[in-house]
Order: sequence, then structure tokens, then C-alpha cells
Amino acid sequence: MIAPHASRRVRLWLRHAVLILFAFLAFYPIVVMWITALRPSNEVMQNPFGLPTGIFLDNIVNAWVKGRFGNYFINSVIITVPTVIGVVVLSALAGYGIARFRFRGRMLIFYTMLLGLTIPFQSVMIPLYYQLLAMGLLGSYLAVILPSIAFGLPFGIFLMQSFFEDLPHELTEAARVDGCSEFRIFRSVMLPLARPAISTLIVFQFMRTWNEFLMPLLYLQDEARRPIPLGLMFFQGAYTRDIGLIAAGVSLSTIPVIIVYLIFQRQFVKGLTAGAVK
Amino acid sequence: MATSRIAARQRAGFWFVLPAFLIYLVFFGVPFVATIWLSFTEWNGVGQPAFTGAGNYLRLSGDTAMWAALGNNVIWVVIGTVVPVFIGLIIAVMLWSDARGSMTYRTIYFLPVVLSPVVIGIIWGWIYNPLFGLLNTSLRAVGFGNFAIGWLGESETALYAVLVTAIWSYLGFCIVVLFAGLQKVDPELVGAARIDGANARQRFRHVIVPQIRPVLTMVIVYTVIGGFNVFDVVWVMTSGGPNNASEVIATYTYEIAFRGNEYGYGATLSMVMSVLSLIAAWITMRMRASDEGAR
Repeated sequence: MIAPHASRRVRLWLRHAVLILFAFLAFYPIVVMWITALRPSNEVMQNPFGLPTGIFLDNIVNAWVKGRFGNYFINSVIITVPTVIGVVVLSALAGYGIARFRFRGRMLIFYTMLLGLTIPFQSVMIPLYYQLLAMGLLGSYLAVILPSIAFGLPFGIFLMQSFFEDLPHELTEAARVDGCSEFRIFRSVMLPLARPAISTLIVFQFMRTWNEFLMPLLYLQDEARRPIPLGLMFFQGAYTRDIGLIAAGVSLSTIPVIIVYLIFQRQFVKGLTAGAVK
Repeated sequence: MATSRIAARQRAGFWFVLPAFLIYLVFFGVPFVATIWLSFTEWNGVGQPAFTGAGNYLRLSGDTAMWAALGNNVIWVVIGTVVPVFIGLIIAVMLWSDARGSMTYRTIYFLPVVLSPVVIGIIWGWIYNPLFGLLNTSLRAVGFGNFAIGWLGESETALYAVLVTAIWSYLGFCIVVLFAGLQKVDPELVGAARIDGANARQRFRHVIVPQIRPVLTMVIVYTVIGGFNVFDVVWVMTSGGPNNASEVIATYTYEIAFRGNEYGYGATLSMVMSVLSLIAAWITMRMRASDEGAR
């Protein structure tokens, strides 16, 4: 009589052992970098698993000064904020237009834009380089911002369109009878209702732009304008042998993102998985 | 009268769509069409591209480096789909059948998903470091010093070492998405199957999996498309080396175009990537349609 009960408990423990093991595997590689950042490199070489023996902040200070991470951080903000605003505003407008009106060419435009969901950036990177050069944008922040907006639009419009399509028509009809202009209806009636979809889109686009690598690698070669991922890569290339310093650079670039993630966790998970769970 | 007013109102939609469509056309549409055109030319970036007809496409068939890279993509797609989906399903079901602490677990599993590929590549480059890395230090400590090799520097292991890194970075995504899918599974059905004598494996295979088919399909699509397009993590960790051992189609395209200044052929390789993605998308839509038909 005791046996089934005991075996259930064993199973429960076993299950949590597996869950904890995977939590450790996910978390430890990140944490070990934070620990390494707080230790002198020669100590790390002797025992990479060791813990800090005292307060040692040289790596962090050096990385901040030599690596100019403050600079990279500002660059990432300069690139990410306008991109996110651009994608959200344009997607909300276009998603609304496609969902709520029946104008000629509507489906053609919609499908043309959905094509951008599947075509990878590599498929436009070569001509786009020369196009940006001809437009005089190459090397400026706009060389990353404008294409990032264009690449964010397909998903943004897809998301907003399906959201607006599900909203009831009674609301807009009432506003129309009251003589509101179409833009007023959008701005004052529909847009406030779309808040959940918009916050999902903000997080999704923020992460995508914040971590973008290939686009700035190609179009932002000026050292002073590098965003964090690119700056970190060149920093790593320059100090390959100094693991403590590199770990400090990694920590400086991961900790802000992780803090933001822990605060807005729900929106993150929803935003980043929005495409898959629809 | 009334109909023309309605038609006029419907036309207003066009003005809502126009700004987005213009940006999209200028920074995606135009360069995409230019890629198609460029893929039929030879061009080193200076002067005018020379039209060569199907020349570049014929060159593809004899380009062994391209086929080797594509082969690596296939390995990537297969292992990078089967392993995380399998592990992800098991973990998701474990979380689902015992809700205690499920939120905390998911928070931790999802952490790597928010990191940039550059950060991920550097962290794992350090883990794989032949002399001081965590992996080899551990191997030596437990007496397997013979296996302590330069994981990223050996042709036999480089691709798999990078692939393990990539799987680490998106396993949490698979778990969380599959877990979300499981919320729609009816626990009573699972209980009924248990009473009918179905064991854990049978319940999983015949009761749970069919109910989360649509979500499962989406995860697979995500890993498959990601596997054909992968660039960042490979570029940061090995740049396709050593001796092209971990080369994938995206890194090869980058090298041909921006290292070798062969922009025409680079565009042709871009087109290979586009076609692969379009095929994957087409298959997805077919699978989704059949999922919806089955429900």
C-alpha cells in the first residue's frame, strides 16, 4: 500500500531534479561570466570555476574605459528607439488600413508585405549597401534604422492587422455617425484598444533591433557609431587573451538586458513568442 | 450616391497603408528586385555589372564549397530541430503536469533567448577554450583529459560545437512556446487515457502530441527557417572555419560577396537562401492548412 505513494514521490523529485539541471544549464554560462568579470585573469586561468576572493573591479573599470561601453550603449539607444517607434506607428496605421477598409490593391499590398516575413536579410544586403551609399546614408545611424524599420514592418503589420480585424465594428460605426474623420476614429477609438498588441510589438522589435548584428556590421563601419553587439565583438577581437576583461564586457552588455527582461517578463515572453503562438 | 460615399470611405484605407508600403518598397522591395537582377551578372563593385545570363546559376552546380555549406545547413536544420523540440517537449510536459515553480523555471529557461548572438558566441567560445575553458577543465578533472580538444578549432567538431551553442540559446524559446500550447490540452482526456491503461509514453504520443500539433508545427518551422538562415552565432564563433568546416550558406554568401568582392555570384547565393526560405514557408502554409482541417 505504501509503494505507489513512495514511487510517486520519487517521480516528483526526479522530475524536479531534471528541471533544476536544465535551469542550471541555462543560467550557469551567463553567471560564470559575471563571476569571471570580478576576478583577475591569471586567477581565472588557474581555476575557471573559482569564485572571487575579494573585491576586484579593475576589469569592469577597464572595459568601461577602454571598451567605451557607455558609447556603445548610447549608440544602441539611438538606433533602437526610432526603429521601434517607426515600426509601431507604421504597422498600426497599415494594419488598421488593411483590416478595416476594402480598397483596391489591398490584398496585393498585404501579400507583398508578408513576403518580407520569409525573405532573409541576406537576400537584399548586397544591393542595399550600394543603395545606401548612393543615398548618402551609408555609415550613418539611418543606414541601420531605415532598413530595420522596413524589415520590422511585415511582422508588425501581420500582428496589428489580425488584432484590428477582431475588434467589433459597432464602435467605429458609432463614431462615424457622430461625424468623426477616419483618422480621428483610428486615433481616439481604435488605437487605445490596441494597447496589448502594441506592447507585444514594442518588446519584439526592441529585442530584434537591440541584438541586431549583421546590418550594423555592413552599414555602420564607423567605430564611433557601433551599437553594443558590434562593439563587443571588436572589443573581444582586440583583447582575446584577457578573459577577465572580455567577461567584464559581456557582463556590461548582458546585465541591462536581463534587468529589463526580469521587469517586463510577461511582455517579453508574449512578444518573442507572438509569431509562434497565434 | 450612398455606394460612392462608401467607396470613397474604403479608399481612405489606402492612405493608412501608404507610409509603411513606401518604406518597405524603398528598403526591401527595390534591393530585393536588384538582387534578382544582380544574380544574373558578374560584378566586383566597380563600374557596371556585366550580364552573364544563367552563368552564376550554372556555377552553383559545380561549387563544391557551396554544397558543403548547404550540407552543413541540412545537418543544422535536422539536429537543431529534433534535439530542442524533443527536449523542449519533455521539459514542457514536466512543467505542465506539475505546476509548482513553473513560472520560475520558465523565467530561467528563457534567459538565453534575450541575449544577443554575439554575447552567446563569446560565452561559449570561453567554455570551449582549449586550455582554460570550462569544458576541458571539467574533462581533465574527471580523468577524460584525452578528450580535451580545441572544440572550435578542429574540423570534426567545430560545426557541432557551434550547433550546441545555438541549441542552448533557443531551447528556452521551444520550452515556453510548447508550454503555452499545452495550456490548451484537456487534462481530463489525459486522465481518461490513464484510466484506460495507457502508459506515460502512450499518453504523450497519442493524447498530448495530437492536441498541440499546431504549436509543434510552428516551433519546427521556426527552427527550420532559422537553421537555413543562421549567420550571427557561426560568424562570431568560427567565421565558418577551420577550413570551411563550419561554413553555412549565409557565411559563405558573406565571404563571396564582401571578402571576395564577387557581388554578382553573392547575389546568386542570396537567391538560393530566398528560395529555401520560400519553400519552407510554402510547406508551412500547407501544414497549417492541414492542421486546421484536422481540428
